[in-house]
Amino acid sequence: MAKIIACYKWVADEADLRINADMSVDLSKAKGKISDYDKNAIEAAVQVAKGTGDTAVTLTFGSGKAKQSLKDALSRGPAEGFWINSGSAEKADGAASSKVLAAAIKEMGDYKLILCAEGASDTFARQVGPGIAARLDIPCVSSATGFEVNGNTVTVSRKLEDCVEVVAADLPVVVCVLPEINQPPIPGLKAVLDAGKKPTRELRLEDLGLSETDLAAKTELQGFEAYVMNRKNVILSGDSAADKVKELVANLKKEGII
Amino acid sequence: MSGIYVYSDNFGLSAALLSLAAQSGEEVCAITLDQDQADELVNYGADRLLVLKGDSPRPESYAKVIAELLKKENAELFLVGSTARGRELAAKTAGYLDCGMVSDAASLVFEVGKIVTTRLMYGGSVVQTEIINSLTVVTVPVGKFEAAKNESKKGVISSLEVKADQRVNIIETSPIKKEGIDLAAADKVVCIGMGLDKPEDIQIAQDLAQVLGAEIGCTRGIAEERHWLPVQSYIGISGANVKPSLYISMGVSGQVQHVVGIRDSRIIAAVDSNDKAPIFKAADYGIVGDLYEIIPLLTEALRNA
Ligand SMILES: Cc1cc2nc3c(=O)[nH]c(=O)nc-3n(C[C@H](O)[C@H](O)[C@H](O)COP(=O)(O)OP(=O)(O)OC[C@H]3O[C@@H](n4cnc5c(N)ncnc54)[C@H](O)[C@@H]3O)c2cc1C
Ligand SMILES: Nc1ncnc2c1ncn2[C@@H]1O[C@H](COP(=O)(O)O)[C@@H](O)[C@H]1O
Repeated sequence: MAKIIACYKWVADEADLRINADMSVDLSKAKGKISDYDKNAIEAAVQVAKGTGDTAVTLTFGSGKAKQSLKDALSRGPAEGFWINSGSAEKADGAASSKVLAAAIKEMGDYKLILCAEGASDTFARQVGPGIAARLDIPCVSSATGFEVNGNTVTVSRKLEDCVEVVAADLPVVVCVLPEINQPPIPGLKAVLDAGKKPTRELRLEDLGLSETDLAAKTELQGFEAYVMNRKNVILSGDSAADKVKELVANLKKEGII
Repeated sequence: MSGIYVYSDNFGLSAALLSLAAQSGEEVCAITLDQDQADELVNYGADRLLVLKGDSPRPESYAKVIAELLKKENAELFLVGSTARGRELAAKTAGYLDCGMVSDAASLVFEVGKIVTTRLMYGGSVVQTEIINSLTVVTVPVGKFEAAKNESKKGVISSLEVKADQRVNIIETSPIKKEGIDLAAADKVVCIGMGLDKPEDIQIAQDLAQVLGAEIGCTRGIAEERHWLPVQSYIGISGANVKPSLYISMGVSGQVQHVVGIRDSRIIAAVDSNDKAPIFKAADYGIVGDLYEIIPLLTEALRNA
């Protein structure tokens, strides 16, 4: 039995972002969540492990706040949760994240498949999955909408701009999934209760032979500001639907649209 | 460090990246896998064109080779077109080089001794500005930069025999039918969201689109979950970017991941029954109301306008 590893990131919920008057962004009130599409990666790991008889596990690199994610992740079906606990996760770039995750995967050992989402909800950088593959020097298949493991190979369908491509890759491999790959179910009460009893393992950077300096950002962060969109924000206030429509038409005329 | 390297599997994007790179005043080298592309790209201002001759048709399989090349040449920047293949190639190359990567740069400016980039975070709510001062891989989405011919400069074409990664092989490809829509080029867009109850109701949007001469777009769920419209029809961070003179939505709540794709519209109008829907913050004109009542009235009013 080998490991099928689903990587998920514990991210701040973008719906809770607060914008200060100076356009700076306040994340301190934001609740955490499993990055949306990582739920698809976890579900894909659980489904494929059922078929192959392997063990689905999860892996996350996060600060102390990510501890609460383990139960949520395990309620989705995997057998064990791995958590690299380090405050450096909060400012980690794609290079640092893929370096840490690759080191953890090596440490976990005996893996045949690593699943990531194509992009995380906060960064949507779409780089950590292929970055892990490069660092482990194993193949990578991104933009996956479906896959199947047969013996030592995986067959993956990919959605590209102008075609659907089917590729075969040697295991072990990193597969980055698009959300259309599956519909992750909402965990039931029993699954949530069971999750609390499942084993979890906490890893530290030292266990992986890494230090904070290895994870220094490669670019210099200069700004992190709210995007400003200047729009007229006119809500048409006519008494009846017909009046509102009339106002809209008048405005579209005024704007030279019609 | 010197030299900017450029790659895209999309010809137009390669040409645009070359024009962008030329602004740096540095030596610019285009990497291609295809001799014919090199012959064409010669007119876009590259100093050098390097054709990689390998044993795989998959660009993604050359990441390690390209990483070694960039290292050997002491490159300062690798610009890659943000297509599905390009993104994977770029991220693997950055991984092999253990260097930084800026994904989907919204802007990139060459300044003395450094490069300044911006990109969107949190679905488009936040702009992150980064300064690059060592070898970095940057992916650039289609449509951000224009290609300009520069026939005064003729690049030198050379080729290099390389070994691709053979561990991933294509079994088959089938083209995705493009159903004749080019939302990015549309002058008017009528957008439908999950507020529509049944697929038949798309007719309401089609009637409006017809009087406006608009194309129909949608949110992700309409295409990816309900499959009512082809996937090329959805707008947003993971779909199309539109820049029409008019974008008008019905039953679209206006989550940031969708709105990021409509920001370049000249006028945004929205119809939604929830007065708190975020789309109204993104709109110039909003009507709070039932789309089933408002849209037919609007279509009628426009027909008579
Ligand atoms: C990483 C990531 C990437 C994403 N990328 C994209 C993307 O590229 N594009 C995209 O669109 N989404 C994307 N999404 C999804 C996005 O977050 C939203 O979930 C989606 O845009 C919502 O679609 P919607 O507005 O159609 O549906 P909903 O949010 O369900 O909104 C439906 C609206 O219809 C209104 N309504 C209902 N009935 C009526 C009626 N009778 N009359 C008028 N109004 C009515 C409701 O008030 C509501 O505002 C992404 C999400 C993530 C996490
Ligand atoms: N800190 C992390 N811990 C675990 N997985 C991660 C982490 N960061 C990124 N990933 C995985 O890589 C994917 C792509 O992230 P990104 O490249 O940042 O868009 C995510 O959806 C996760 O599957």
